[in-house]
Amino acid sequence: MKKTILTLSMIFFATMLNYTYAAASGRITISINPPSVQAKMGDRITYTGTITNNSGKPVTNLITYISLANVTQGKEAPMDLEDWSANKAIRVDTIAPHGTYMGKWPMRLIDSGGYVAYITVVDKNNNIPVISMMSHLDIKRVLRLNPNNVLPVAIGEPILIGAVFVFISFKRRPGVR
Amino acid sequence: MKTAFIMQKEIRESILTPKGFLWYILTSVILSVLSYLFLTNRELSLLDQGTMLYMIMNFITALGVLMGLVLGADAFAGEIERGTLEALFLSPVKRREIAAGKLCAVLTNWGIIFAISLPYLYIVGKGGQNLLPGILYLGVLGTLLSLIFSAFSMGLSARIKSMKNSLIISFFIFLLAGAPIFLSAALRRTWFGRIFDLLNPFADAVNTFDSVVIDSQGLSYQTGRVAIICIYTLLCIWFLKRSAAKVQM
Repeated sequence: MKKTILTLSMIFFATMLNYTYAAASGRITISINPPSVQAKMGDRITYTGTITNNSGKPVTNLITYISLANVTQGKEAPMDLEDWSANKAIRVDTIAPHGTYMGKWPMRLIDSGGYVAYITVVDKNNNIPVISMMSHLDIKRVLRLNPNNVLPVAIGEPILIGAVFVFISFKRRPGVR
Repeated sequence: MKTAFIMQKEIRESILTPKGFLWYILTSVILSVLSYLFLTNRELSLLDQGTMLYMIMNFITALGVLMGLVLGADAFAGEIERGTLEALFLSPVKRREIAAGKLCAVLTNWGIIFAISLPYLYIVGKGGQNLLPGILYLGVLGTLLSLIFSAFSMGLSARIKSMKNSLIISFFIFLLAGAPIFLSAALRRTWFGRIFDLLNPFADAVNTFDSVVIDSQGLSYQTGRVAIICIYTLLCIWFLKRSAAKVQM
């Protein structure tokens, strides 16, 4: 009996939750563009989020932000976008009835791997945030660093300054003119 | 002319000596290790080249400021402690000229550090973004910061007359100026963080490097911060002038 009540309650709550989500997402929708990106480390890309107000009333005070999650096997983690993007959160004052707002998130690709990017819209009048579809981002590793370029300087310069140091020490020795 | 003479004397005594040269060898070794790690270490090499350049620029600036502080603290207090300032005062050189000569010697030291750092900046930033503007801004702002901190430290050394104390106070000021590096990004975005960042010449320089090298922003974005650094430069030179005029044996 208890099990039946529990199951029925869960079905009821799930239905309610689904309904609320549908209502919230029905009022505002968000899409992310491009839907997938293939790039290499160091590239700059821009994600565009389009928020659409589907209702007949204006929506105000929305906060929208982009999130990035690493989905590379063994490295699964949400990313801190501070080094990736200069513009994380955008505040949208108002969107007119049936109007749209376009937000742009320029991003510098720092690390290689597989990622998913998605945009979230938070409307303080709704308890459930609206989330876009996921955009798949595949960043190829670039081996732009040739150690042969760095070694002559990294080894040569201290040796050169050291040689000047030895020369000055020798010149300053008592008896050496 | 007399200023140039004092400057030459200072360079001979504190820079062109085996001990003074050790600083440059160490500077070069540290920059070698840093740039080698940036370019070859698996994790560090994942950083964007602009970020690498920005980080190495911050390090060079901090190194220049730190060496300027040490040389500045020694300028008057060190001479008093060694008993050599009296002889300098007996010569027909004005105190203002002595201070200017010593300040120019500290700037020469910064010039040498900057010259040493150029090959490293080149190899770290080569092929990346904003290498040339970055070097230009480092040259200008590094010189101004070197002037600010060494003039302040020299003025303090003239007033306190104790090298140990002026060095400790200068280090505290340096740590305070470097505090933004230790503050989290969230704290720096608060009103306190923003005001502190704006009024702190070191943070102004670091933020300018960030803006120029990483965000590729032009001169118009930098004018406010550069103006604040210039005001600090004038204030510290004025402080040094006043302190040098009052220095007594």
